[in-house]
Amino acid sequence: MSQKTILIVDDDPDVRLGLHVRLKANHYNVIFAPDGMASIAEARKHIPDLIILDLGLPAGDGFSVMERLKANDSLSLIPVIVVSARDREANMDRALKAGAKAFLQKPVANAELLAVIRKVLGEPCLPEKAVVHDLGSL
Amino acid sequence: MKEKALQVLVVEDNAGDARLLREMFSKEKPGSFELTHLLRMSEAVIHLEKGGVDIVLLDMGLPDGHGLDTVRRAHAAAPGVPVIVLTGLDDEALAAEAMKEGAQDYLIKGQIENRALPRALRDAIERHRMQTETDLIRTDQMKFQDEFLSHVSHELRSPLTAIYQFVTILLDKLAGELNLEQHEYLQIVLRNVKQLQSMINDLLEVTRVQAGKLSIELQCTSVSDAIAYTVNTLQGAATAKGITLSADMDCQLPLVNADPTRVQQILIVLVDNAIKFTPAGGLVKVLARVSEEDPGFLLVEVSDTGCGISPDMTERIFEHLYQITDPGQAGRKGLGLGLYISKELVTRQGGKIWVSSEPQKGSHFIFTVPIFSLASWIGPIFMHEKKDGDAIALLVVEMGTRDGWLSPDVRKEMSHLARRLLQQCLRPDTDVLLPNMDSVNVRELFFAVVYTQEHGAEVISKRIQRQFRQCEQLQPADFTLDVSHSFLAPVSRVKSESMETFIGHVATGIQERINTITLQRSI
Repeated sequence: MSQKTILIVDDDPDVRLGLHVRLKANHYNVIFAPDGMASIAEARKHIPDLIILDLGLPAGDGFSVMERLKANDSLSLIPVIVVSARDREANMDRALKAGAKAFLQKPVANAELLAVIRKVLGEPCLPEKAVVHDLGSL
Repeated sequence: MKEKALQVLVVEDNAGDARLLREMFSKEKPGSFELTHLLRMSEAVIHLEKGGVDIVLLDMGLPDGHGLDTVRRAHAAAPGVPVIVLTGLDDEALAAEAMKEGAQDYLIKGQIENRALPRALRDAIERHRMQTETDLIRTDQMKFQDEFLSHVSHELRSPLTAIYQFVTILLDKLAGELNLEQHEYLQIVLRNVKQLQSMINDLLEVTRVQAGKLSIELQCTSVSDAIAYTVNTLQGAATAKGITLSADMDCQLPLVNADPTRVQQILIVLVDNAIKFTPAGGLVKVLARVSEEDPGFLLVEVSDTGCGISPDMTERIFEHLYQITDPGQAGRKGLGLGLYISKELVTRQGGKIWVSSEPQKGSHFIFTVPIFSLASWIGPIFMHEKKDGDAIALLVVEMGTRDGWLSPDVRKEMSHLARRLLQQCLRPDTDVLLPNMDSVNVRELFFAVVYTQEHGAEVISKRIQRQFRQCEQLQPADFTLDVSHSFLAPVSRVKSESMETFIGHVATGIQERINTITLQRSI
């Protein structure tokens, strides 16, 4: 089975690396973009299977990235999961309306993130091989 | 520089009193005051709305306005203009009330000294100006504090995310094997990350409380589920501390009208606190029963055998930012926001929260939640004006996928969306969207009670079908939607029975219909 490619768009290099390690361990191919502008360029170049998108970004925030993806025929069908530190109450509806498949609040528990990724990619919900440390419900 | 004359509006219907006031001003320096005298409240309102008045001298007994009402009307017409009320000798109590309504001062007729009146006016204007300024500064400060808190909370989440990511990467051995000691220490880091996260969430929640933006979605829900969830979630923490955590509920507990996630949130705070303040070997118990004093409420109690709370503290612990003074008791204090938020959540859902406690023996935290009643839910639509042809109809909306299966996540999302769509199809005041009362969970069922004329129910059914078809997010290939309706009772029946009985009948009718549908679905 060929590896699925996920584009991570986040301006925090630590968060990008953390996601990279976690997703690679779960057999995804990972590419990055640190800002809104670069995200569109990377998406065009690689046509990823999924985009994990932060909202607060330099050079075009997450909402404008989603707008530009939608306006582009070859990119409009790539599913987007928003992972943001911004408040869920104020941003979730707006993100879903803009076309995101899900809104996840940072810090997002590993198990939840992986489950949502699998769901959006249409993969079977396999139990996690490695132990996943959940953030719990608090 | 020549000072601008103060524009004084005198509203006084008694010619003698008005003349006296005018005389008092006549002794002032010419050009320092300019008087306008009006006899009626209605005239005063028009004059005030035009603007330009600096202060109002207001009689509280006018032909077209009396007592506090005059003060309110003056304020409504010109919110920024200070008012001094004029009152008789025997009306000082009323004058005090007027001050509470926002009057700057009061003067008793017959006791006003010549020189005192202009000074009282100037003082009142100055006081008013200072008051307005202070209010403005306070509002600004509050707004700044809200924005600051919200900003800080968000900024804290980013580094916390990185810490969580890498601690779990190490713990999951994605960066190599760990020895036992390293594993244990990383677990401690992870525990502290969770603590920090819950503090950040509390901070944000408090900002929402203070901004009046706390969201609560009332529905028909089960407290037992919330208790089971809480006990499940915190069992690990209790066991780790050597504490027995258990739940004790009536098996026939009625459903409540509440927000299930908020009830869970309250329970988590209470049980978590109980575990924190109870020494090893202790007991923490969650009980739920129908209140004996008020059968309209469910009583939920979290009791512990912990250090207890001294009597003078039982009110204060629910206050904003309250913390216990002896930090040794709980190990680490946290932000002291949990109980404050809980109180707000309980109150907003129509309940009460309190604590009874004996130091060194333990505490009982108790909160109440209104029991769900169909009759009180549908009650408000019957207040609407009725016509003879009107009737009550029950619309049933069922949705799902062809094989009848939806994952819990998708169901939750779709359910939220569908209820929003449904709400848009109903008319305010005359239609009611019932809470989701489907306990079978085979398909999502939504019920709407419609107060309608003749073919109204059909019209709304069609509108719902159209609205759902147009919704992009509800268009997976195997999505199904059924809308049906049945008439419950003609409104003409209200004439032969009391409103209360009628609502009762309708509620029973709805309940029976729902039971039948959910029974059919479960087979």
